[in-house]
Amino acid sequence: MYRLALNMLFGDRAKLAMLLCGLAFSALLMAQQTSVFFGIMSWTYTPVYNIRAPIWVSDPMVEQANDAKPMRDTDLYRVRSVDGVAWAAPLHTSFLQARMQDGNFKLITMVGIDADTFAGAPAVLSQGLIEDLRLPNTVIVDEWGAQLMGRVTKGADGKEVVIPLKVGDTFEVNDLEARIVGICKVRRAFTGGPFVYTTYDRTKQYTLGARRTLSFMLVEPQPGVDPAKLCARIEADTGLKAWTSDTVIWSWSDRSLARNTFWWFWKNTGIPFSFGTAVALGLFVGIAVSGQTFYSFVLENLKYFAAIKAMGAGMGVIARMLLVQAFTAGLLGFGLGVGMAQAIGRAMIEKGMPPFIMFPQIFWATLALVLGISLVSAIIGIIKVSRVDAATVFRG
Amino acid sequence: MSTPPAQTVAVRTRGVDMFFGDGETKVTALKQADFEANRGELIMLVGPSGCGKTTLLSVIAGTLTPQTGTVEVFGQRLDGLSQEELTAFRRKHLGFVFQSFNLIPTLSVLENVMVPLLIQGASHDVAVTKALAMLAKVGLKGREYGQPNALSGGQQQRVAIARALVHEPSLLICDEPTSALDKDTGAQIMQMVRDLSRSPERCVVVVTHDHRIFRFADRIAEMEDGRIRRVVEDAGLLDTNHL
Ligand SMILES: Nc1ncnc2c1ncn2[C@@H]1O[C@H](COP(=O)(O)OP(=O)(O)O)[C@@H](O)[C@H]1O
Ligand SMILES: [Mg+2]
Repeated sequence: MYRLALNMLFGDRAKLAMLLCGLAFSALLMAQQTSVFFGIMSWTYTPVYNIRAPIWVSDPMVEQANDAKPMRDTDLYRVRSVDGVAWAAPLHTSFLQARMQDGNFKLITMVGIDADTFAGAPAVLSQGLIEDLRLPNTVIVDEWGAQLMGRVTKGADGKEVVIPLKVGDTFEVNDLEARIVGICKVRRAFTGGPFVYTTYDRTKQYTLGARRTLSFMLVEPQPGVDPAKLCARIEADTGLKAWTSDTVIWSWSDRSLARNTFWWFWKNTGIPFSFGTAVALGLFVGIAVSGQTFYSFVLENLKYFAAIKAMGAGMGVIARMLLVQAFTAGLLGFGLGVGMAQAIGRAMIEKGMPPFIMFPQIFWATLALVLGISLVSAIIGIIKVSRVDAATVFRG
Repeated sequence: MSTPPAQTVAVRTRGVDMFFGDGETKVTALKQADFEANRGELIMLVGPSGCGKTTLLSVIAGTLTPQTGTVEVFGQRLDGLSQEELTAFRRKHLGFVFQSFNLIPTLSVLENVMVPLLIQGASHDVAVTKALAMLAKVGLKGREYGQPNALSGGQQQRVAIARALVHEPSLLICDEPTSALDKDTGAQIMQMVRDLSRSPERCVVVVTHDHRIFRFADRIAEMEDGRIRRVVEDAGLLDTNHL
């Protein structure tokens, strides 16, 4: 009987296509919206990705990775003397204004890294050499930033074109020259601005001799030392705050800088709400569309189920037939929808905009939702068939 | 007419009342309906539209439970059975032919005929074998794997007959089996019902108001206002203008 149930489903190609389109569309909508949402939210902990250090140490009042409460330079020595620390390097981050050649100002994120170890340096340079940062007045700009800070001119066809910054170009930060010696590839950040890397010591000049420039310390544990345990020891010994750099935001670890950053933005900004409404809308439309398509499928077959019931099929058999149909259609629609979401996501990742992260959780949650919708529709169908009088089969 | 001996009675209703709705909208479909059909016979239920033919057929088929009266089909009392017991009874003993064929359009002809066997729990292979044999009997060899909608009305009703008989039910119930068909096709269909379904142990009840097929009946029960008015053995005795 279940084979027949499937043949009933697959027998009408046009209706099947409608049903699968509805289900796939809603799965696509749900997976797509949530993936973009989490993609954007993951930009909040971009520093953790770009800087790449096993342990971060900050002022005890710091709550997330974009928050800088500078410490004293002497704190660096205190951390270095904690048992189990292989080395500790300073890191500076600040938002500054850059004055471009054409006189325009651009907001930048300045990152100062230790000139001896280059700890926290970008992993990939598409132009130039990281060592050139040791030359006077030099910076490395990220690709996206080079685009943002680029010069706008009219092309041959009269359209506006952006000429991105390249190695050798210069700009000024607080009247100090910054000469580009490299272009790097890094993940984009929530704040959106260009990343300008320079050495830690030089940030004192670019920030006009700020008294404190030590935003974070990057710590490498000695071989065999557990990062989480070392964090606890650093905190106990120095009174500072130490974070691990894992990027699993779905963990319970309150040491993870990425996780804390993600959930800090979740709790303290309107972003989850404004994007969340779009996601909720996607979910709602998805549920409505697939529920509706399924329901009309059940209605169209109601007459035939009534006939089968009159012929002596018990409700148990009919219920299982409807469930087989619903779950088969649900799984197919889900596969199509999530496949499309992935394909679109890939294309978006290539363009870098908007960000797209399909967490396994999104995958499973979408599956659960689509199957949930299938189940509910099947149950509605079962109730409908159980209510329909077997006697109605004799009436027209 | 003398009452036939008990073992030959296939269907018997006594004092059956059936009404729908209540208060202002109450409709009485059957009033003290007494009906009897024997094993081995093809009996027709005739009468004007709205006189209760379909309702009586549903009561006999166990798809409707009357408010009062007794219903006995092949020695089994249907009144008092639970829905599950009625369903099991229909599964085992009943074959249906509907006015509007009621074939499942998304299934093949063969699969449609397999349904009663599969409902009974037959294996897929057994169901295929029996359904193929039955389709050959109704003259549809070669059309087994097509869709029902590709067939003519007469052919579709032949599929329905195959489906109604494939599991060898004791009681075959046909509601207006020819009303969607032209005269010649209707006669062919009735001939087929007669040839294939009549057996000493089976009873066939056909509801119709198509007087052109009366000649296929062994007996004809005439209904009026929710009860059996009279039973005749010769269609010529009926006042056909009245129908
Ligand atoms: N489900 C129902 N609800 C209300 N009235 C019904 C229902 N079924 C039948 N009736 C009424 O019962 C009467 C007998 O109907 P039916 O048995 O279908 O007559 P026939 O088949 O002889 O044309 C009619 O008046 C009809 O309107
Ligand atoms: Mg009728």
